[in-house]
Amino acid sequence: MAERKPPPSLEELGARVREAQNRQAAEAGADGAGDDNGASGAALANGLRIGPELVVAVGVGTGIGWAFDRAFGSAPLVTIVFFFLGVGAGMVNVWRAVTGRGMAIGYRPRDARRREREDKKTDESSGEE
Amino acid sequence: MATESNPLHQFSIERLIPIHIGGVDASFTNSAAFMTAAVVLASGFVLLSTWRAQLVPGRWQSMAELTYEFIARMIDQNVGREGRRYVPFVFTLFMFILLGNLLGMIPYSFTFTSHIIVTFALAALVFVGVTLIGIFRHGLHFLSLFAPRGVPIILLLLLVPIEVLSYFIRPFTLSIRLFANMMAGHTMLVIFAGFVTSLGVFGILPIAMNTFLVLLELLVAVLQAYVFAILTCLYLHDAIHLH
Repeated sequence: MAERKPPPSLEELGARVREAQNRQAAEAGADGAGDDNGASGAALANGLRIGPELVVAVGVGTGIGWAFDRAFGSAPLVTIVFFFLGVGAGMVNVWRAVTGRGMAIGYRPRDARRREREDKKTDESSGEE
Repeated sequence: MATESNPLHQFSIERLIPIHIGGVDASFTNSAAFMTAAVVLASGFVLLSTWRAQLVPGRWQSMAELTYEFIARMIDQNVGREGRRYVPFVFTLFMFILLGNLLGMIPYSFTFTSHIIVTFALAALVFVGVTLIGIFRHGLHFLSLFAPRGVPIILLLLLVPIEVLSYFIRPFTLSIRLFANMMAGHTMLVIFAGFVTSLGVFGILPIAMNTFLVLLELLVAVLQAYVFAILTCLYLHDAIHLH
């Protein structure tokens, strides 16, 4: 391949710039931060939302266990089990909120999920045609 | 006098118009009155400001459009294009909670979001609605939400109960977060206000404190409405996309 490629035309360059801008905007949007003036508010909201997550999870877990124990007369076995399940559920929720994986159930980061969704979309569209 | 200085007196429900239907107390209370006020104000704000909508918006129309676009963008970013049809629901929810929180900041008013039954009803509505959306969209496949892929069977025995529990905890965290924030803040305001008279000259200190607390409470009022709306979006995202 001795022949050199001609320099890209202005339209091509413009399209590439737009594509990059869209990609950047999509990435900024995926963080849930949006534009600059919303970023600190979103971060604050994210932080404030974590506190009750752990406490409520332990409380609800223990409460469910206690209700089961009352119904089946198996005290305190189920209460103990559900207490630890509640602790686990709370930690899972907090961990998800902190690592920015939303409240989604499952262990893949956001961009992986998005990529997968796009794959699925192309699969579906190609399958239909 | 004793009830006036009780910091929890502000949360008491009073029947304004007693209504009893078949043994059920359906009285029009101060809580219902402020809910009505919130609905009327929210509807009035949106309807009046877009009454004569213009291409170049005026001040009021601009405010209404900004609020709407704020929620629409939140949905776009957190749910995706499929979430567009739920914008009216999230917008209504956001405006109702926001106005409830902000109306509560007016002295001598009542904060209906400081009652857990109100916030729990809202959270349960979101939870049941989102679960139904997920089931209608995906059928039984919706249950795969509770079993992460690529996990060994033995671990599933532990993970599935945790996932189910963490799913059913959602309405509780959603409601307790809003209720606890509003109630704690308003209780604190009254407690510090109670110090003002008992400290005499030094009452200036709790007044200064309360000034900052009011500002903080205004922030919390807006922020908690935002948190409620964004968590609704995230739950919607889960129900629509599963993984």
